[in-house]
Amino acid sequence: MDTKANPPTSITPGDAALLLAQIDDRPTLVNINTAARRIAPIASSLASVQKRLACLSSFTIDFLKTPLELQALRAGLHLQTHVAPYGQIDQELIDPHSGVASFKPDVVLIAVRLRDVCPALYDSFNSLSPDEARAMIDDWLARFKSAVMSFRQHSQAHLLILNYEAPAVPALGIADRSSVNSQSRLIQAANASLDAIAAAVANAHVLDYDALIAAHGRATWEDRRMALYGRIPVAAQHYWPFAGFIVRYLRPMYGLTKKVLVLDADNTLWGGVIGDVGVDGIALGYDYPGSAFVAFQKRVLDLYHRGIVLCIASKNQPGIVEEALKTHPNMVLREKHFAAMRVNWHPKPQNLQEMAADLNLGIDSFVFLDDSDVECALMREVLPQVMTVCLPREPARYAAVVESLDCFDQFSVSAEDRVRGELYRAESGRRQLQSAVVDMPTFYRQLAMKVTFGINQSSQISRAAQMTNRTNQFNMHTIRCSEDDIRRFMTSGDHEVITLALEDRFGDSGVVGLAIVRKSPEKWVLHQLLMSCRILGRTVEQAFVKWIAGRAKSAGAAQIVGEFVPTTKNKPFAEFYASCGFAVQSPGHAPVEWILPLANVDTTIPDWIAIQSPDSEVS
Amino acid sequence: MSQNQERFSQTVSAILGCAPEDVTDKLTPDQIDTWDSLNQINLVGALEQEFGVSLVAQDLAEYQSVVKLKALLREHGVEV
Repeated sequence: MDTKANPPTSITPGDAALLLAQIDDRPTLVNINTAARRIAPIASSLASVQKRLACLSSFTIDFLKTPLELQALRAGLHLQTHVAPYGQIDQELIDPHSGVASFKPDVVLIAVRLRDVCPALYDSFNSLSPDEARAMIDDWLARFKSAVMSFRQHSQAHLLILNYEAPAVPALGIADRSSVNSQSRLIQAANASLDAIAAAVANAHVLDYDALIAAHGRATWEDRRMALYGRIPVAAQHYWPFAGFIVRYLRPMYGLTKKVLVLDADNTLWGGVIGDVGVDGIALGYDYPGSAFVAFQKRVLDLYHRGIVLCIASKNQPGIVEEALKTHPNMVLREKHFAAMRVNWHPKPQNLQEMAADLNLGIDSFVFLDDSDVECALMREVLPQVMTVCLPREPARYAAVVESLDCFDQFSVSAEDRVRGELYRAESGRRQLQSAVVDMPTFYRQLAMKVTFGINQSSQISRAAQMTNRTNQFNMHTIRCSEDDIRRFMTSGDHEVITLALEDRFGDSGVVGLAIVRKSPEKWVLHQLLMSCRILGRTVEQAFVKWIAGRAKSAGAAQIVGEFVPTTKNKPFAEFYASCGFAVQSPGHAPVEWILPLANVDTTIPDWIAIQSPDSEVS
Repeated sequence: MSQNQERFSQTVSAILGCAPEDVTDKLTPDQIDTWDSLNQINLVGALEQEFGVSLVAQDLAEYQSVVKLKALLREHGVEV
C-alpha cells in the first residue's frame, strides 16, 4: 500500500456538533464521510451510553453503518455495529452460535423487504391468484415468527423490525382500490400481522419504514441502478434520514430523549425585532409572513401538549417579551406555556445553564432553536451537549423544522406527559412560597402534600417504564426497563413494583416515584429506586424509603439492600442512602451495596405528608 | 488546479479517507485499502452529488481508478 488513510487531526466537541449540523443542511456522502472520519477519534467522549447493534437484512445494508453510527453519536449513543451477510435472516436469528448471536448485540435491526422474500408480490402480482398471494405472505410471516421466537430463546436483545413498503404504483393501477385482490391492502394486512408478531415478543418494536419512504417520496426512495448493481434499495440522499429514523427508536430505549425546547424570540416566535418595532409592529397574524410564525407557534404548542418543557432565551429589554406574550392578540404561545424565561443581554449559554438548574433538568436534555447563525455557533461551541438547531432564512419553513425534531419521542405518551408544562410552572410557584417562609417544616406543611402508593398496578406499567428511561439524576444505577420488563416484575410473584403519586396545593404531580423490590423472607432488595427530580427536597424521597421499610419490617424481613452505581448524572442520589439510615455494606466492593437494618428503623412519616392507603393490588 | 479538479480530489479523499494530494492519476484500489466495493459505489454516488450529474455506470466495477473515474465524468460533460 502506497497511500495511507489520512491521520485525522484532533477536534473539539463543538466542531463535532457543527460537522453534524452541516450534514443536516446537505446530507451528501462527502459530508457524512468527512464528519465520520474527523469525529472518530473523540467519538467515545461524546457519548454517555455504549451499545452493540447488529443489522440483519434482505439486502446490502453496509451503507447504513457510517450514517447510523454518526446519528447515534449525536443522540449520545456510541454504537458498535455488526452487519450480517444479507439474506440470511432465519439462520442468523435461529442459530445460537450465528454471527449475530455471537456478537452479543443489545439491539438487532431486522431490515427485511417483503419484495426480497416474496418477489412475485411486487414484480408479477397480476399473475397471482388472491389465494396464492396471501399464502406467499402467510408462509413468510410464519417463517419469520418462528425465527424471532427461536432468537428469544437465546437473546434478550431489543428487536427493531422494519415494516413493509407499499409499491409506488400498485400493480392494478387505479383499479387497485376497488379490486378484491388489492396489492396495497394485502401489504397493509401483512403489516398488521407483523405488528401482531412484534406485540407477542418481548422488547420487539415495529418501525414504520413504509411511512418513512412515503414521507421522502416513494418514486425517488430507491435508485434503481444501485438497487440492481449493489442490492442497495435506498438512494444515497436518503442514507442520512434513514439512519436518523432508526436512532429515533434508540433514544427512548436508552434514556437519551430530549425534554426541553428553548426558543429565541425575535425572528423566531415572531417576525421583526420587538425592541425596534414594538409589540404592535411584530409580524404575527393571518397574512404572510406573520402566518408563518403563527404556524410555527402552533407546532411548538403541540409539543407542549405532549410533555415537552418550553423555555425562552431572548436578547431583549426585560419585560418586552412578556408583554408581547400577554397582550398580542395573535400570540398562540402564552406565558403559561413557558416553564422558564431569560430575557436579558447575557450570553445565551449562561441563560440555558441557569434554566437547567432552575428546572432541575440536565443541560444535555435541552434543544435550542434560534434564527441567528452567531447564537447557534456560540451555543455549539460552549454547550455542545445541547442540541442546537438553526432556523432557515425562510419563516415558512419554520413549522417543518419543529416537525422534524425527532429527539423528543417516547414509545408511549402518559397522562403525566400531557400536563408536564403545568407541573413545571407549579414548581416555580412552590419555589416562590419557599422563599417567603422561614423554616422548612412550615414550608412543607403549607404545601399540604398527599402521597398515594400503588403496588403492582397494571395501569402504571407504561409510566413506570417511562420513569426508568427518563430519570437520570435521582436514580440508583440508571438501568432502563421496557414495559415488558415491568410487566414481568409485576407478575413474577416475588417482586413489588411500587409507584408513588404526589399531590399538593399547587396541583397533582402524578406518579413521580418508582421502586422495584425483590422480596425474600430475610431481606428486600431494591432493584430500582428513582424519583423525578422535580419533587426532590420535600422529604418525600425519605418518606418513600420509610414506607417501604415499614412494609418490609411487617413482612418479617431483617434488612433492605440497595446498590449505588455512580454515573455522570446521578450525584443527587449519592448522599441519599445515608440520609435514610443506610450504611455501606462492604467498602471497596463495586457496585457499592448499602444496607438498612430494619430492627430499630424509624418508619415514622413526617406529619406534613398525608399517606393515602394504597390502591387495590392488581396484577 | 481547476476548481473541478480540486473538487474531484476532495470528493475522492473524503470517501477514501486519504489526503487530497494523494488523489493522483496513479491511484487505484490496489494502493489504498479503503477502496473496497462499498466505497466504489460511494465514490460514484458522491461524484454524482458533487457535480450534479447522473452517471451511466453500466458496470461500475469498470471505473476503478482515478483515471477511469475522471474519464467517466468527462463523458458526462464535466471537465476534470
